[in-house]
Amino acid sequence: MAWLDTAPGPDYSGAVAPEYSPEETMARIVPGDRDEDLILAARRGDEEAFREIYRTYREPVWSVILSLVGDPVQAQDILQTVFFKAFRGLAGFRFRSALFTWIYRIACNDCRNHLRRRAVHEGPLEDILGSRYEADDTRGPDRPRTRADAIKSAVLALPFKMREVVILKYQEDLSYEEMSRILGCPPGTIASRLNRALAELETRMRRIEGRP
Amino acid sequence: MSLSCRILRPGFVPYLEGELQPGRAGRLERHLAGCGECRELIERVRAGHETGRRFGRLRADIPPRFPAFEELGAGRPARRGFWPAVAVPALLSVAAGLAALLVISGGGSPLRSRSVKADRAFTPLAIREFTTNSKNRIVTEGYVHNVYYDKEERTLHIKLAEGPRDTEPFVICEIRDASGLTIPREGSRIRVYGTARFDAQPGRGWHEVNPVMEIAVLNR
Repeated sequence: MAWLDTAPGPDYSGAVAPEYSPEETMARIVPGDRDEDLILAARRGDEEAFREIYRTYREPVWSVILSLVGDPVQAQDILQTVFFKAFRGLAGFRFRSALFTWIYRIACNDCRNHLRRRAVHEGPLEDILGSRYEADDTRGPDRPRTRADAIKSAVLALPFKMREVVILKYQEDLSYEEMSRILGCPPGTIASRLNRALAELETRMRRIEGRP
Repeated sequence: MSLSCRILRPGFVPYLEGELQPGRAGRLERHLAGCGECRELIERVRAGHETGRRFGRLRADIPPRFPAFEELGAGRPARRGFWPAVAVPALLSVAAGLAALLVISGGGSPLRSRSVKADRAFTPLAIREFTTNSKNRIVTEGYVHNVYYDKEERTLHIKLAEGPRDTEPFVICEIRDASGLTIPREGSRIRVYGTARFDAQPGRGWHEVNPVMEIAVLNR
């Protein structure tokens, strides 16, 4: 595939944005703007409102879940569970937080519970072999092939609470206040946790990349 | 760790992002000049912050679609009774989706399976029909207008148009892992199996087949 290396960059000549379909227009709605109307309509049993909520939040919620659990098959199960819980819980929604923080909170809690349940059956190999074997993870057939793979592996290897803040901060671009509402702890705690998470992330990147 | 360290450390990331108020930033800088422990920590946080920013630019895979959710209310008046209408079909659709995934992947990368046996599971779709399409899994045909390989993301992009010299309408076919794939030449006619979606990132907006599950070269 050497000829590809010299191929020009993206040149999608004539790449004009087509008209958005109604579904895509729906998905581009700024989160939060119409949430109250949607929630009230959904409470009245309006299926279209449920559908709008699903289409608006499906992609961001999916990316959070996939990053938190790392496995698409498990992430699919969790995604579905999250929307079931969200739709079932809308009746009790008190408007004390934005809809997206509420759905994110359900997603984070579900991922945490899922991984906790799984850990009972599938403890980490290091727990069995001993932590000295951990240092060998820079070698072997599973070593990440690209920097992108290395970054994903390092984030996924973080303890869950650290992983949560890294994903919400950098992938979802949320503020400390928003993260605080989702994770249920003060912004100062989020900031301290983020420091520890980033320092740990650097340690893991060094290990993966074989840096001193 | 002193009280100053405890007070100032939560400001590390806002400081690195240039979002700390000037007074607090100055206080932090003065503290860093005299505290080796915090200097060491902020350097690790800085490196982790850069890694985090790179992580934020990586794209997550496309979410699965659950027809029971997708089709809620489509063309029907609002009504009560959400659960009976959704719960059972949704669970069935997940089971069917997982089964289909296993069949198509054959236990390995879908791209490496040289034939898609379940043609009937893919809806034939002309490129000009993407704008009005509501189907998820489709098969389309067209001429390769342009090929680009993104080395960082390791994805191959093929711009596909209806005619050999057409530039519009077009669709972008994105292949996640092109290793082992015979790359179609520009100007060749190909058939592409995959998931239809719309990429609405800022600065661009086009229809895609993403991910591509199979490509058949019809005319070199």
